[in-house]
Amino acid sequence: MAERLLRRLVPGREGEIIAGDLREEFAARGGGRIWYWGEVLSCVAVRLSPHRLTAPDLRQDLHYAVRVLRRNPGYALTAMVCLALGIGVNSTVFSMVNELFWQPLPLPHSGRLAIVGRESDGMACSYRDYLEFRQRASAPAGRLFSGLVAYDDMRVAIDSGGMSHIVGADAVTANFADVLEMPAQLGRWFMPEDDRLGSDPVAVIGDGTWARLFGRSPDVIGQRVRIGTERYRVIGVAPPGFVGMSPPHLVEIWMPLASQPDVRDLLANPGEWERPLVQMIGRLADGQGTREAEAGMRALDARIRRDFPRDNAPAGAITVAVATGASRPDVRAVAAPMAALLLSVTAVVLLIACVNVANLILSRAAVRRHEMAVRRALGAGPWRLVRQTLAEGLVLGAGGAALGLAVGYWSGRLLARSLPGFPHGGMLALRLDPDWRVAAFAAAAGLASALLFTLAPAMDAARINGGGSRRMRQRDVYVVAQVALSLVLLIAATLLVRALEHALEVDPGFAMAGRLEARLSISEPEYTADTGRLFLDRVLAAVQAMPNVQSATISHNTPLSITDATCAAPDTNTRPRRTGSDIVAAGYFDTIGIPILRGRAFEARDRQGAPQVVVVNETLARRYWPAKEPIGQSVWLGCDTKAPRTVAQVVGVARDAKYASLDEPPQPFVYRPLAQDWVGFMTLIVHTPGRPEQFTAPLRAALAGLDPDLRVYEIETLEECASGSLFRVRWQAALLAVFGGLAMVLAAVGLYGVVAYTVAQQTRELGIRMAIGAQRGDLLWMVLGRGLRLTALGIAMGLLLSAAATRLLGGLLYGMSPLDPVSFAAASLAWTAVAMLASYVPARRAMQVDPVVALRWE
Amino acid sequence: MVYNSELMSDHYLGEFEQVVLLAVLRLGDDAYGVPIRREIEKRCARKVTVGALYSTLDRLEAKEYLSSWFADPTAERGGRSRRYFRLEPAGGEALARAKSMFERMWKGVRLA
Repeated sequence: MAERLLRRLVPGREGEIIAGDLREEFAARGGGRIWYWGEVLSCVAVRLSPHRLTAPDLRQDLHYAVRVLRRNPGYALTAMVCLALGIGVNSTVFSMVNELFWQPLPLPHSGRLAIVGRESDGMACSYRDYLEFRQRASAPAGRLFSGLVAYDDMRVAIDSGGMSHIVGADAVTANFADVLEMPAQLGRWFMPEDDRLGSDPVAVIGDGTWARLFGRSPDVIGQRVRIGTERYRVIGVAPPGFVGMSPPHLVEIWMPLASQPDVRDLLANPGEWERPLVQMIGRLADGQGTREAEAGMRALDARIRRDFPRDNAPAGAITVAVATGASRPDVRAVAAPMAALLLSVTAVVLLIACVNVANLILSRAAVRRHEMAVRRALGAGPWRLVRQTLAEGLVLGAGGAALGLAVGYWSGRLLARSLPGFPHGGMLALRLDPDWRVAAFAAAAGLASALLFTLAPAMDAARINGGGSRRMRQRDVYVVAQVALSLVLLIAATLLVRALEHALEVDPGFAMAGRLEARLSISEPEYTADTGRLFLDRVLAAVQAMPNVQSATISHNTPLSITDATCAAPDTNTRPRRTGSDIVAAGYFDTIGIPILRGRAFEARDRQGAPQVVVVNETLARRYWPAKEPIGQSVWLGCDTKAPRTVAQVVGVARDAKYASLDEPPQPFVYRPLAQDWVGFMTLIVHTPGRPEQFTAPLRAALAGLDPDLRVYEIETLEECASGSLFRVRWQAALLAVFGGLAMVLAAVGLYGVVAYTVAQQTRELGIRMAIGAQRGDLLWMVLGRGLRLTALGIAMGLLLSAAATRLLGGLLYGMSPLDPVSFAAASLAWTAVAMLASYVPARRAMQVDPVVALRWE
Repeated sequence: MVYNSELMSDHYLGEFEQVVLLAVLRLGDDAYGVPIRREIEKRCARKVTVGALYSTLDRLEAKEYLSSWFADPTAERGGRSRRYFRLEPAGGEALARAKSMFERMWKGVRLA
């Protein structure tokens, strides 16, 4: 047995010699089975060692492979294009994952920049803690950081050209640019004087903002722009490509931390330890690793707590990690499952591409049977032939990977440009720049697929009498698998597209057609609650007086993005529960088309000073007063158990609507009247019988006429708002549709190849059939039938697989069943049609076979 | 100096290669697998597996330090032939070079 294994592994005369040696010694030792096995295994180990496998023949193999492929450019190109598509989509998705998780900041020596914070608090700590850390961590003895920066992510409004733009901003300490080693592209960064109480507010703008709002004019330096509520003097422009420390969140404005009101409060009152919260990024001191720095920071943290004992000191431990990818844990948490889904989808696409190439190699193997036989006759062992096939696979894989990188780069550009499908367009950006990690990934993908698609054909090539029928069956299995896999992707894509349509058809409970919304900031210092209400009255009066306006109203939230909540309870003994809430003006329910089912809507008599009133929705009424008349009941509002809660009387019940998203279940909801409640940020909703998008410009002009300094954010139709709230499913549906389509095309090419190959092999048979009287139609059906049989089998398996796989999409289907029969049927039908087409082309060729020529075939 | 830096690496003999070459040299006309292994195991007091031995022998033959030929099959080997090895002049030179290299290195050195 061991001897047979040995002869198998060490072929030829050499095996004989070793076996002879062993037998001689076996006899001399007088036995020892274990010894014998050990010796045999030593030969195996030596022979399988990588050193031996890559022995000098590899170069020869590769050389020959390149020559073979150059002589068959069509075959080589087809295989490489298939691979390039597969590897391309994979490297695009991978570069996204790379950017979200591993890419360092585009700054000098970014491997030494570390994010510091308490992981339990979202990598934040208090500003007061930061001041202590900074002083102690950069002390000359036991220096942990050469510099430590505090920053705070926020969104601010910057005014330009009559509109306010919401952009990401960071309030930072003055040492920001020094620690990051980042010079300004124009002007300067902050100096310590800028980050003090009472200093003139200054700001640095990002390259994107400079281009978009200021047309890259150098005159921007020294200009005053309104950011939030204050006028900042622009002192510099950040270098291009720098978009803050939390990509893909775009930061376009930097301000000194001391310009922020809560930091100013703290500087005036240093006893405050809890807020404001800031994040920290530091440059590790020479000789300090993240682990040492982390231990050092934890020791400092303990010492600070001892020096400044306080009641509710933060519990979480400090962590220090090199800043790579999205530094914010919440972004990572959202991105991880999405990345996993996309990567597995693109892996399936690559698998299908590999199967295609394997099929190609198999059909080539049939053509090259002669060559292989000759080489074997000349003494090439099976392993030699396997290696030859592997070498060809490697060359194809390398070509595919190189092309795939190009495809990936190009499709990454396309993806990065099509991203504004994200809500808040400019807030997120992916650069999708390929770096060495992406290149390494593509190379690994190329290598892995080369092994994958050559292994089966190589085994086949090595088999002594590889029968044709066996090979056919193997190719059939491949096609069935391809159809099944691509059908899974197609069904998933169809489901998402249908879910999207379904979501858009969901009755939101209010009217969207003809409604336009504009978001206004009516906050201090320009407006107080009283002057704000007066101003809004003027706005409503002016807008309602405009031509083509049916009605206009005010609410705090934009419909379908209501995330506001308060707590409500029917009496003081019941524990308050979180309830959605909005502040609305008197005409709200009419304008937005929510019917009042019982009682009344808000009216002019619900003034300040008058009894507090609320309108509740059906769900809330049913939950608190299931059998009672809700009108006239009291609702206790407020979440704080210590602060006095307010009590209000229910005056009306409104029909349920969708508040935060289209797929939410019915939510309890409370409307409060604008006259009795106030926030400095309001939405103007206008109902116009015309086309709302044409009303944008007149509305903006009218608002500017009332207050030229009024901050107006995006003006959108409610339909745009609704579709924006579906961005996640829209984005994934689009990507899956692209991948599913690609998978189907690749699989169709595979199917075509198999059917065409069969036709070529059966030419003689077809000729004979024709000669003895078969009709052309019969032949057509014979060939078509074969393609369709394979497809049917693949579809059956694909349906089973999909039934298992679509469950993973559950959360994105807006209440649709993951087994939606329409999607399953539509995708299967689409595949059948494609299969018909893919087999029809070779079937036509079969029909045109000339019996005379066919009989002389071979 | 190109000769030294580039070709020397090819001419360098590993420790086990030296041992195998010396064993072949010592055995003279009787150098085939079994005695070579015995010789090494006896003189070096170490185990040698047949796989390691033949991979080294093959490598030395590829470098033309050794040549081999096949003898007639014998009954004690189950009807299989022996493969005899002989040291070639290049192999002798390589051994001499290795020896003088060690001698140069050892000159004037004393282990404490």
